[in-house]
Amino acid sequence: MIENLKELCNLPGVSGNEHKVREYILNKVSSHVDCSVDAMGNIICFKKGKMPSNQKLMVDAHMDEVGLIITSVTDEGYLKFATVGGIETAVLMTRRVIIGEGEMGVISCKPYHLVEADERKKMPEKDSLFIDIGAKSRDQALEKVKLGDVAVFDSEYMPLGELIKAKAIDDRAGCAILIKLLCEDSEYDFYATFSVQEEVGLRGAKAAAFTVNPDSAIVLESTTAADIAGVSDDRMVCKVGCGVAVSFMDGATLYDKGYYDLAIQVAEKLQIPCQSKAAVTGGNNAGAINSSRGGVRTVSLSVPCRYIHSPSCVASVEDVNSVYLLAKAMIAKICEQTARP
Amino acid sequence: MNLKKLIFKLSEADGMGGVKDALKVAEQYLSRYATVEIMGEGTLIGVIKGKSNHTIMLDAHIDEVGMMVTSVDERGFVKVSAAGGIDSRILAAMPVHIHSVPPVIGAFCSTPPHLRKDDDDVCKITEMYIDTGLGEKGIDIVSVGDRVTFLQSPKELMCGRITGKSLDDRAGVAALIEVAHQINDNCVPPCNVAILLSDQEELGCRGAKVSAFSVDPDEAIAVDVSFGDMPDIPSNKTGKLDGGAMLGISPVLSQEISDKLARLATEKKIPFQYEVMGGHTSTNADVISVAKCGVPCGLLSIPLRNMHTPVEVISIADVQSVANIITAYIMAFDGEEQA
Repeated sequence: MIENLKELCNLPGVSGNEHKVREYILNKVSSHVDCSVDAMGNIICFKKGKMPSNQKLMVDAHMDEVGLIITSVTDEGYLKFATVGGIETAVLMTRRVIIGEGEMGVISCKPYHLVEADERKKMPEKDSLFIDIGAKSRDQALEKVKLGDVAVFDSEYMPLGELIKAKAIDDRAGCAILIKLLCEDSEYDFYATFSVQEEVGLRGAKAAAFTVNPDSAIVLESTTAADIAGVSDDRMVCKVGCGVAVSFMDGATLYDKGYYDLAIQVAEKLQIPCQSKAAVTGGNNAGAINSSRGGVRTVSLSVPCRYIHSPSCVASVEDVNSVYLLAKAMIAKICEQTARP
Repeated sequence: MNLKKLIFKLSEADGMGGVKDALKVAEQYLSRYATVEIMGEGTLIGVIKGKSNHTIMLDAHIDEVGMMVTSVDERGFVKVSAAGGIDSRILAAMPVHIHSVPPVIGAFCSTPPHLRKDDDDVCKITEMYIDTGLGEKGIDIVSVGDRVTFLQSPKELMCGRITGKSLDDRAGVAALIEVAHQINDNCVPPCNVAILLSDQEELGCRGAKVSAFSVDPDEAIAVDVSFGDMPDIPSNKTGKLDGGAMLGISPVLSQEISDKLARLATEKKIPFQYEVMGGHTSTNADVISVAKCGVPCGLLSIPLRNMHTPVEVISIADVQSVANIITAYIMAFDGEEQA
């Protein structure tokens, strides 16, 4: 699972351009499940279990990551861009990016010596940033890059102390877990979706949930962990290394109370490290799935991730494993339930 | 010589007071052409004996901007102070190399949006933390005083341009190694050439100050980088990438040397551009020129974008231009002229 996570994180897959991630996943799961790709590019899988389920369950992870999209090229040959998904200016300045099919570029920044004292206290406008690919003119740049090409951070997966550092842990961690769940035997039948365009408004999951038409859903995600030095305990949201973050509410969803309680109980019983996501912030595919058709009971199980949406997302391999264990247990629990507890 | 490969190797290696990887890479190359010696903590000097006793010293600094660890907490978060000019706005989520024993990788913390009062809030570098991921083991591995450098491998861009960290001033170091290589092809030079790869330039030209005293040259040429053209910077403060060496003109530099460099470059059709300064050059030329009883000093600079960041950008052609001009200058030495 962790080898898959490493390879998945290193693949480019900005929203709307998830094809490389999709190919990778199809290659891994197609011999274990029935799968199809819908009009938006979502992968929809049916996993045959040992027995049918009373609940039609959908387990979702999103394939896309945040990135940049090239919007124009200046006369001097620099690329202007918009962000795809939420990326802060602070993590863009002086980052290296890979554009389109592999063109290397750098997001430029004025030399320190020429930045005035008051300018140093303020982040520049995102619109003022540009990418330098070495081209000397617009025409030269356009030989290598087209408008609408997307770019990802140039950042390799690597160990960081006891943890890991990579781009796109959000949500390749969910993808790696879901691949593992599909490649091994399951007690019950369930559906799995690897969705597109989560970072631009939970768009892929909306269509996928309509197609699957589930009774209940598990969303496998990565979520902000603010357990960093200088932050008080009550503002950390969740902590890396402390297990699965289970959400009760975020910016997109007020979660099913029964499933939230169930997840906490199951984790306790099986001694899987688990914590509440202790802040109402962010939002994920649960928002789209939960309100699909006539409503879907939904739970989110997330890998805590520091510096999310940056080239250096930091997470714990143990947490990824905990999310896997709890997801597997929750699939069984939900599938064997017949009615609302 | 494969200049690109040389620049890549020098850029990838780390070098700041006490961290000698870059110095070792330079030594390995330079020792093919010159008698090399490491002086003090982190300075390398390579001497090529010539036909006369006249000594031309060539200087480029081997150090890069970095940081020093000032504290380590029980959860593996590290605080640093800058060693050289670093813009704290570029640090969030940046990977770094902590030169502890054993060395470790870290990443600067990036404050999540929900914890910031103001989107524009920029912390000072001394208020920021580096996440080592080591947890409680951090305190046993990382020590106060450990050096920290940017973690970045060099990459090629379009048009023979290179991006990486510490091209300030490894590009200059590469130019001087190329000079040694070119002189070697010409056999014995007409005068002694002392190639100084100096330390602590980023902390105020300290290495060159003491080394120029020790070498005691008759004249010197400093090689550094200067601001390359980019949007948002007035063009009068920059040199164009691929415009050739930036030939320094300043009251602190020797006008005779500047004129001779310009004349030779013109004769040999080596591209160059002028860089005129009203006084200090903010390079080692400032201190070399006042070493002992004064050393006539020239300055050639390589235009570089995004200075003091992990994404500095240079053109290989400009490095070649600097090397070609300096070799021409050395080979044109004639004792009569200097006397």
